[in-house]
Amino acid sequence: MGNAIVNKAATNAVHAGLLLRPEFERTLLDARTIGQVERPLSFIERMWNVNGVRKAAVVLGFVVLWEAYTRIAGVPPLLFPSFSQTCVAILDAFSDHRMLSKIAFTFSSLLIGYAVGLAVAAVLVFLASISRVWGDILVTATAMFNPLPAIAILPLAMLWFGLGMFSLVFVLVHSVLWAVALNTYVGFRGVSQTQRMVGANYGLRGVPFAARILVPAALATILSGMKIGWAFAWRTLIGAELVFGATARGGGLGWHIFENSELLRTPQVFAGLFIIILIGVVVENVIFRNVETRTVQRWGMQR
Amino acid sequence: MTERQGHLVERPEYVRPALGRALTGDAARPLSLAARLADTDPVRKFTVLLAAIVIWEVYTRGAQVPELIFPSFDETIAALWRGLVEYDLAQQIWSSLKVLAIGYAIGLAIGAVLSFIAVSSRFGGDILGTLTAMLNPLPAIALLPLALIWFGLGAKSLIFVLLHSIVWPVALNTHTGFMSVPEPLRMVGRNYGLRNVRYVAKILIPAAFPSILAGLKLGWAFAWRTLIASELVFGAVAESGGLGWFIFASRNELDIPGAFAGLLTVILIGFLVENVIFRNIETRTVVRWGMQS
Repeated sequence: MGNAIVNKAATNAVHAGLLLRPEFERTLLDARTIGQVERPLSFIERMWNVNGVRKAAVVLGFVVLWEAYTRIAGVPPLLFPSFSQTCVAILDAFSDHRMLSKIAFTFSSLLIGYAVGLAVAAVLVFLASISRVWGDILVTATAMFNPLPAIAILPLAMLWFGLGMFSLVFVLVHSVLWAVALNTYVGFRGVSQTQRMVGANYGLRGVPFAARILVPAALATILSGMKIGWAFAWRTLIGAELVFGATARGGGLGWHIFENSELLRTPQVFAGLFIIILIGVVVENVIFRNVETRTVQRWGMQR
Repeated sequence: MTERQGHLVERPEYVRPALGRALTGDAARPLSLAARLADTDPVRKFTVLLAAIVIWEVYTRGAQVPELIFPSFDETIAALWRGLVEYDLAQQIWSSLKVLAIGYAIGLAIGAVLSFIAVSSRFGGDILGTLTAMLNPLPAIALLPLALIWFGLGAKSLIFVLLHSIVWPVALNTHTGFMSVPEPLRMVGRNYGLRNVRYVAKILIPAAFPSILAGLKLGWAFAWRTLIASELVFGAVAESGGLGWFIFASRNELDIPGAFAGLLTVILIGFLVENVIFRNIETRTVVRWGMQS
């Protein structure tokens, strides 16, 4: 009966110019002939799948290449010290407290500049978010001063405030302020009307409104502004110290690099670079990363 | 009676007398010219700029600030004109921009190659990830003393330092952009049989363009800052100085209006690149494609 229908359909299909494939039935395959379906990965493969191991291998590879190149090619340490010489130089630098005081000097001016920059940016953005005139002033000022490298006003700052910490802080504030203000303002403007209305519904106004509604809602943008501000400040500070550290009190890491390169103590220069990299990595990958995972990532605003 | 039991109150019926013509006044009133002007963005911003200039001029004239400390606006403009006509400011601008353009182009090429290697294999991605994590936080200017030892004074050292400031942000942003291209777009590419360079050029780059553009802008910002900083210090020894050197030299000769003129030029160039060039690229690509507002 079923066959008859199929045949009828087949003849119809042939009439319609369609081909009907013949029916078939597979016999069961013997599972044993397939071989291993599932095989445990070897130890090496499993290790290779761990992210940290691969990255460590990359770092190790670079270190080995560096050491081998400098040793085999006999590059003079004046031009390019080997890894071991750099390590010795780092230990040497930390043997007395001078290095620590240099780091402390760099860090304290950075922190002061960053904090003041953030505070000024907060005030400006708060004013800008409550009145249109201030918004215009902020936007115009940011458009003008953001593309101006902070280090370019260092010569003038030295003229106005003299040598020393105050000029450094002034330049740092300039490098942090605009990047943070711009990003925060853009972030505030992007806060959805729904969230604003929730705030208005709770009767929040002024500072509480900004602190409880605008800042959390725009935190992803604010954080990226703070990261850019940090990057600018860090670069500006090292640049400023590189040049004017000698004249300022104590000098910092940038000055350490410049001084040692003038004295052709290249391993010490590498040691300075190493410490700068280390501080940068800690701030970007530990501090900011942590803040991000605890706020915007946990709140599901950013992956 | 039933309403009483349910504690309902029935309001008394009433009839309202017909209302007269509603007296709401003007429902729509054309704005005055001043109000309409105050609503246009460029006019307001221009006014802010003008006000800042007027305050600057009035303050410096009124308080008799010596030119050595803070020159007035007209002195700055005069110095700018003098720099362009009498001194070699135009040539300094040109030499700065030339070095910047060369460094930017080479940096982009290296960044492109690095991110291509990074997307084509997992190990390549690891190499790029480790390199950027280590070298991105290192301010490029810190390498300048070393570059001077390796390449001597001159444009080569500047370009080396610029490269370092451009390659890492560009490569990092491009790689993150590539990694977050959604799977459907990738599958479309594979469906068309695109592979390697054509796959990257036709699928990955357009899909990751907002992120790439952000990297380009960041790279430009770092490069511009690094260039001015390096010139500020070592411009004198390099062949023709540059804008940074112009500022530093003017300041050393206590020609403060000259230094202000240099700063003004730096601001103008930066403004032009960020708000005209990059803004134009944005409106023509990511904004038109609806990926960014």
